[in-house]
Amino acid sequence: MNNKRFAMVLDTRKCIDCKACTVACKAENHVPLGRENHRNWVTEEHLRGKFPLLGQSYTPGQCMHCGNTPCKRVCPTSATGQNQDGIVTVEEHKCIGCKYCMTACPYDARYYNEEIGAVDKCTFCAHRIYIGRLPACVETCPTKVRVFGDLNDPNSEVSRLLAKYPHRVIKEEMGTKPYLFYLI
Amino acid sequence: MSRLLDKNLSRRRFLGLSSCALATVAVGSQVKVLKALAMTGKVSEPTAMTSKDVFTSCEMCVNKCGVIARVKNGVIHKLDPNPDYIKSRNMLCARGNAGTQAVYDPDRLKYPLIRVGERGEGKWRRASWDEALDLVMKNMNEIAEKYTRAGMMFASTEGFQEHFFLMLAEAYGSPNTVRHATLCLSSNIQGFGATYGTNPNPDVLNSDYIIMSGANRSEAFITPDTIDFLKGDGGQRKVVYLDPRFTKTAAKADEWYPIKPGGDMAFILAMINVIVSEGLFNQAYLDEHTVGFDKLVPHIEPYTPEWAEGECEIAAADIRRIAKEFAAAAPKAVYYQGRRSSFFSNDTQMRRAMAILNAIIGNWDVPGGMIPSGKIKLAEHVYVAPWYDDVPDRLDKDCVTYLSEKDGSWKHFRDRVIAGEPYPVKGMMVYKQNPVASIPNRAKTLEMMKQMDFICSIDITMSDTAWLSDVVLPEATYLERMDPVESIPGLLPLLSLRHQVIEPLFEAKPCLWIMQQLAKRMGDEAAEMYDYTIEEFVEHQLSLLPGAREMLDSKGIYYENATPVYGSSFGKPLKTKSGKIEIYSEKYAENGHDPLPVFTAQTTVPQGKYRLLVGRHAYFTHGTTANNPYLHDLMPENTLWLNAGEAKRMGLKHGQRVRVKSPVGEEVLALEATEKIRPDSVYMCHGFGVLSKEQTKIYGKGGCDAALLEDEVCPISGNVAMHHTFVEIFPA
Repeated sequence: MNNKRFAMVLDTRKCIDCKACTVACKAENHVPLGRENHRNWVTEEHLRGKFPLLGQSYTPGQCMHCGNTPCKRVCPTSATGQNQDGIVTVEEHKCIGCKYCMTACPYDARYYNEEIGAVDKCTFCAHRIYIGRLPACVETCPTKVRVFGDLNDPNSEVSRLLAKYPHRVIKEEMGTKPYLFYLI
Repeated sequence: MSRLLDKNLSRRRFLGLSSCALATVAVGSQVKVLKALAMTGKVSEPTAMTSKDVFTSCEMCVNKCGVIARVKNGVIHKLDPNPDYIKSRNMLCARGNAGTQAVYDPDRLKYPLIRVGERGEGKWRRASWDEALDLVMKNMNEIAEKYTRAGMMFASTEGFQEHFFLMLAEAYGSPNTVRHATLCLSSNIQGFGATYGTNPNPDVLNSDYIIMSGANRSEAFITPDTIDFLKGDGGQRKVVYLDPRFTKTAAKADEWYPIKPGGDMAFILAMINVIVSEGLFNQAYLDEHTVGFDKLVPHIEPYTPEWAEGECEIAAADIRRIAKEFAAAAPKAVYYQGRRSSFFSNDTQMRRAMAILNAIIGNWDVPGGMIPSGKIKLAEHVYVAPWYDDVPDRLDKDCVTYLSEKDGSWKHFRDRVIAGEPYPVKGMMVYKQNPVASIPNRAKTLEMMKQMDFICSIDITMSDTAWLSDVVLPEATYLERMDPVESIPGLLPLLSLRHQVIEPLFEAKPCLWIMQQLAKRMGDEAAEMYDYTIEEFVEHQLSLLPGAREMLDSKGIYYENATPVYGSSFGKPLKTKSGKIEIYSEKYAENGHDPLPVFTAQTTVPQGKYRLLVGRHAYFTHGTTANNPYLHDLMPENTLWLNAGEAKRMGLKHGQRVRVKSPVGEEVLALEATEKIRPDSVYMCHGFGVLSKEQTKIYGKGGCDAALLEDEVCPISGNVAMHHTFVEIFPA
């Protein structure tokens, strides 16, 4: 889509690691069964402290739809591309399964899909958002950790959240300019 | 851009716009299963190339959340949350999303099966419905002749079609229905019921101070509480959480205390002590709405925070502070009673203490407090059951003070079946329940089943109970049938209608159809009890509510108020003896129980042993979903949690297999050395260690908690005590 820049803002304070997002994504996108096959995930962060003074947070992740895409750069067949709206894509008929992109991605956001014979990853549920629906993970999230929208629209909820709250991106030092923003 | 869109459409397997979409190689797992089965002639290939959205409600657990099923080409493509369904707040959890796999799982039950080998050997032959039903009826008739009609028991658990199953017990003439309640929250309902005449709902969203004790809401989902207890933008809510384990709820709480198991009542009594002794209550309110506060004052005196510290291992200063904060936040404060099985055999009295604590801060029926359930009234189903002479009383009659005639008490019931006293029970009809995996002390359940002449299970998967049956009947899953309207009580009372999403696969049939076929075989009187279609049944249910069907069809829900209604109980007597909130329970006194909760200490954990704790997980519902392919991916087996320091002291390594031994059983599973649990306790997730080899993904994986738990029981409610058991751990 033109004139849009899709992004996601996540409030991990609300994440309870229930994996609704992971299963919703697998069902929506027919990700093959198996623990290693997934387009999104929730990481149980390191347990802080010693019994009984403990703390733990949970961090959902997926393709960051970066502004600077290492995956696209290393793809020998241009199977990985990027839309004007920021969505990083994989054209499966061009993919030769060399998995360079999987190595290049600092977020480990890609997996090899044996059923389609190509590397697969999150598309922000492009087939849903282009008809005005939300990505499956966003819609299903019990505590509404994830907010999806257009950063080019200053009135979108993602823009307003980023204007209002401090936030961070993951592995900023890699220079990938990710478009998943985590509220602090 | 347009190229991508085209590509995405062709890649999104069920979203293909052209009619050849199904013929392409890249098919999703649902279609693949269907096509593979079609090739063997087992089902016909999906042909109707239509797409539709169907409102239904989830049955992956007991919450009944609102679902929109997206159906493409006759296949359920995805289950999405229903945004209008006020109870579930536009969400579906992992289990809800995995519902498609209840339909398309290759492990599901497909045809009626008749056992040909020994029980539990797993040798079956496929039978026609007629043959299977004839065999069931023949056995039921034989049992009635040989023993009495009470010789058949009917075990079931809640579900929208359970009503039809329970009617079968009446049609047949047996008083012996045994439901899940005494493995669940009957002590909770009893404790709160004795105080308020009902088990009220905590108004979580509007509460400023919530104490959750043993209610692991981030993992044991209750909608909308699981969503509501988390602080929203700018929320003021404080959550204090007591649990021997650091759960995901602990991770979200403002304060977590690893309370000593058995210490909950001490903590609560000490809170009451602080509130009473420091005068943090409204005397005029108590005079108007409660009875027995005057008796509570001297009763509570010895239960000081300093005393409680030794019993619950939470510092007296913290108890004192929490009590004051709680009273200060009143009435927008709740001691959340949770929804879980009993901890110990004094559970009803512990729940009474919770109810009394809530009562004295005046949170009854006000925003942010404890709200009695509303319920939308459906037209009653009136039917006439055949009359049988000389049918004895329930087998478990008088086993506890307050026994539900419909639910029974599983532990006592099982003991009496084994003893054959006061009369023999030799036949078992099971619907949707899995007693083998769910009642503590599995060895006894197996013993009970061994002495049965006949066992028939109706289920959607080969549960452990089905595995040990003689006839197994495949029920249509919740997405393959239309169900009666369910009136769901609570803070936001609503009606839910499960529309049929797709035709049943294989030869699965709805419970109503199965019951109709059995009733026909029983005779005309029984058949008349089921003389309607599900559509006619629903029409009758809604006959008092004009416009309800339209709303159920167009929105997937019917409700009258989108926000809680407060104060509906004011000015009317409560359903207690005095009509008021009973701090002091006259009826308990009359029945020889403590009229005010008296603390009893639990046995100290013996040297070299650990207390076995049970608990839930957001990925699984009881013993029913661990074999679901999507959910299995999240947790392929369970582990035994042991405090990391203890593991080190015992020389046990994280990940190694250990043998867990209790007085009633022994299980082997992998060790999880973790800081997340008290050093005196161990924990394992429910739902593993199955006996059924047709739960192919989890057979041979992990351990079964029911095999280890002893069957202590609460004498007031008949609920089993889940935290009573001590275990030893050895390297496997």
